[in-house]
Amino acid sequence: MELTQNEKRLLAALAKEKEADALHLAQMLDATPEAVVQWALLGKDRGLADVRRKVTKKLEYTDEGRNYLEKGLPETQVLNAIGNDTTLFSLQELAAFKIGFGQLRKKGLITVTKGIVTKNVGATTAEDEAALKNPQPGEQRTQELVKRGLVKEIETIRNILSITDEGTLMVDAGLDLREEIGTLTREQIISGAWRDANLRKYRVDKLPRVVYCGKSHPYQRLIEGMRQIFLEMGFTEIHGGLVQSSFWNFDALFQPQDHPAREMQDTFYLKECMELPGCWESVKAMHENGGDTTSTGWGGVWKKEKAEQCVLRTHTTSLSIQHLAAHPEPPVKAFCIDRVYRREAIDPTHTPEFEQLEGIVMDKGVGFTHLLGFLKEFYQGMGFEGVRFRPGYFPYTEPSVEPEVWVDGLGWVEMGGAGIFRQEVTAPFGIRYPVLAWGLGVSRVAMLRLGLKDLRLLYRSDINWIRKSPVYRPERPKSGGEV
Amino acid sequence: MAIITLPYRYLERLTGADKETILQRLPMIGSEVERVEDDHADVEFFPNRPDLFSVEGVARAMRGFLEIETGLPSYTVQPSGISFSVDPNLSDIRPFLGSAVITGVSFDEESIVSVMGLQEALHWAVGRGRSKVAIGIHDLDAVTPPFRYIASPRTRRFVPLDFDREMSMDEILSEHPKGRDYAGIVKNFPLFPLIVDANDNVLSFPPIINGELTRVTEKTHNILLDTTGTDAKAVTMAVNIICTAMADGGATIGSVEINGRRVPSLAPSERTVSVRECCDLLGIELSAQGIAQLLEKMRFAAQPAGKGNVRVQVPCYRADIMHDWDIFEDVAIAYGYDRFPARISETFTIGSAHPARVLGGTVRAILAGLGFLEMMPFTLTNERVLYDMMQRPRSSLPLCIMHPISEEHTVIRTDILPLLMEMLQANRHRELPQKLFATGDVVEGLVTSQKVAGVSCHASADFSEAYACMDALAHELSLVYSVAESADPAFIGGRRGDVRVNGRTVGVFGEVHPAVLNAFELEHPVAAFELDLTAVPGYCVPSDIP
Repeated sequence: MELTQNEKRLLAALAKEKEADALHLAQMLDATPEAVVQWALLGKDRGLADVRRKVTKKLEYTDEGRNYLEKGLPETQVLNAIGNDTTLFSLQELAAFKIGFGQLRKKGLITVTKGIVTKNVGATTAEDEAALKNPQPGEQRTQELVKRGLVKEIETIRNILSITDEGTLMVDAGLDLREEIGTLTREQIISGAWRDANLRKYRVDKLPRVVYCGKSHPYQRLIEGMRQIFLEMGFTEIHGGLVQSSFWNFDALFQPQDHPAREMQDTFYLKECMELPGCWESVKAMHENGGDTTSTGWGGVWKKEKAEQCVLRTHTTSLSIQHLAAHPEPPVKAFCIDRVYRREAIDPTHTPEFEQLEGIVMDKGVGFTHLLGFLKEFYQGMGFEGVRFRPGYFPYTEPSVEPEVWVDGLGWVEMGGAGIFRQEVTAPFGIRYPVLAWGLGVSRVAMLRLGLKDLRLLYRSDINWIRKSPVYRPERPKSGGEV
Repeated sequence: MAIITLPYRYLERLTGADKETILQRLPMIGSEVERVEDDHADVEFFPNRPDLFSVEGVARAMRGFLEIETGLPSYTVQPSGISFSVDPNLSDIRPFLGSAVITGVSFDEESIVSVMGLQEALHWAVGRGRSKVAIGIHDLDAVTPPFRYIASPRTRRFVPLDFDREMSMDEILSEHPKGRDYAGIVKNFPLFPLIVDANDNVLSFPPIINGELTRVTEKTHNILLDTTGTDAKAVTMAVNIICTAMADGGATIGSVEINGRRVPSLAPSERTVSVRECCDLLGIELSAQGIAQLLEKMRFAAQPAGKGNVRVQVPCYRADIMHDWDIFEDVAIAYGYDRFPARISETFTIGSAHPARVLGGTVRAILAGLGFLEMMPFTLTNERVLYDMMQRPRSSLPLCIMHPISEEHTVIRTDILPLLMEMLQANRHRELPQKLFATGDVVEGLVTSQKVAGVSCHASADFSEAYACMDALAHELSLVYSVAESADPAFIGGRRGDVRVNGRTVGVFGEVHPAVLNAFELEHPVAAFELDLTAVPGYCVPSDIP
């Protein structure tokens, strides 16, 4: 059992005194009574000392009470002023009239008849005066005086400290009372004085002071984990401009020019324009009549000016298609986790910018079954064991699929979208093999993984949340679910 | 999104299966059951399948999918003898017209709700909010054929639906609720589209509103359908989808002659698809016969056509079949997404991280080592934060968003430091010291690049701390730099430095100006720095632009 220096000093003092008032001990030990009680309480926890609270009540006069002690109670003063034929009017002159007269009426000591005040037979305030001179706790007349605010009760609490048998035994066995040292100095270390130094022992059952780690954002760490999955699967990371032409953001992905998602209320447009790449005419043909494929195209007239308008990219697929156009030969395995923009009002589940994750695989001989294979591998890498697939719809994929993952407590949760790029998307760029593609909103995973209810906290973070959120989180127990 | 209400009684009657079976299997044809109520379910269908936007259409698909009735549904069209003329003056306004006569309709509450719901959903999905296609459904017995689709003066008056007085077409645009909603589509045209009968009675002012005269009620038995728009294909598709749904509900379809041409035909279109291509795309082995059988489940007509091909007849209501792969997706759906094996491709590739990302990770490690905490502020901001609050002069560099959604987000950031100052402001009630950093994309001109910024806020934050941090960061990034006195008004004069590399200013550091602290409501000094990461030796961004 490790005692602090102060606890030891207190025990040594108590061993002599056996039992003493904290005030007295405080004087002996040159400390405050509060500190002494604190040490004794620590001793009490160890069964070495005891602390008893002794409450005593004392009566004391108030200023008013002290005044009446000299001059007599107001009722006495008024009573004394009553003679023969004393008028109520004349009594009203007295300073003590208001209280005194009231008290006399209340106690039934006087009678008033037609403005004349007379004492009743045997009227006296002697007993009240006696109570005022010598108030006794608990006595009824004294209580009355307390109520009238002439006397007040003062509680005093004394802490009586004592030593237990166990404490006495410990003192008898001998305590090391040498001066304690807080910090080991360079001199002590070099000179060897540390050998005789009594280094203060710290309490390990107390909480340490708090220091905060410098670290990356919890959301960034989650993103790093996802990047790791792709890199391990042999994917190339792509990255590109936040500003894209409508051509790469929409047209190259066979999004018709009158598609609702292209409207001003869903997309952030900029007034700038960008030049189109050389292949724009094949994209135009694809939209209008399906080019050289079995497609009919959308029909109508495709307008170049519409494709030149700049937007803040609404998905990272605009980067995927550019990467494919630059690398039309198989195999291509690429991924991207980056910011995208949608013209949405901010609320707890919507922000105008957020991260999107995207993976593409272009290769000879890949098809729908491989898409499902990559999806399963990817979602399982993210810790979602249960994965299932439903038909879906996305304008630039065919077939399209909506993967769902099992989340304990939530059930099957829709987790992004996937599909094989339409030929209308790939053909204008000379891509001859199927392109498997999938994507999801990363912030959705963040909400699940980081336990967030409000997406805005990712981008406008409370630093206490980041300070307290641990760098390493063990993988959650794999969740089951039917597959 | 199109959410369709499916009343169980009507759905079960049309499908010939119980609602539990239907609801359980519905998601596997591509839909999401949103709500299940006592007497109906609300189900969301994808915008590429407008033929599923009615109870009749869903029942038709489910009869196939549940193998109650497979193959191509057949529709016959009887000539009605009714004709329609189109005014050539409409060619620049709203040129295309589709029409049909639907007789023997027996509306009850459920079927009338289904048709109205279908019309609304088609306006949204196919009609692009009525601009591309608008649909009118009229009581045929209230008017007299032949009909004329004309370009009319805007002063023409008639009684619009839901009103009891005549209004001019201009008045309708400003006073009728539908007029106000859709005025944008026509308001710039000198003449307005109008449909009138032989006696010059108004049926409709497309795409705005029908006349009260031809209101459809439960007593209506014969219908005249009109679709008008700017796209011939979409106009025909809307007619096909409504006619087939109503035929499935028991009505008879009659054709109308438009400028001598008889419409609608409701005949299927044909495609010959390759078995090999289908199997390769889906990754499963199927025979021509097998593919044909699966397609019959999806209500196509299909038979092996020899030479490894399958001849497919596509029902006239399928708006989504543009390409052979659209057919293959239906093969996959009929096969069952839940039955596909999941495979990993065996092609060997080596993964590689993007250099800009690798650099970002390095910067994070360095600053975390210096005790800084990462923040991930938005890239959208505004000029007040970016310049005014920083005491910096406004610049023409940032890109302005054309239609911002709030005053907070009007430009894309060119710097990160102002956003970190905002973070300090948001956290000013939190314990000090606060050392924060952020790294990521900025856009200058049209070019995206990366920057890093850091702030340290506490009672003794000063120039020397800012300089020390910048120096440590530069050292760890192998960045050789010199320092020149800075003129950046965001910092205190004499307590600020520019980071110079090869004669270019690539960063700034110093003690933030008290006026800037005031602007961000901060009460303690802030040491700050920002560095353009394109200055880091070896910085490169592989270009993907073909």
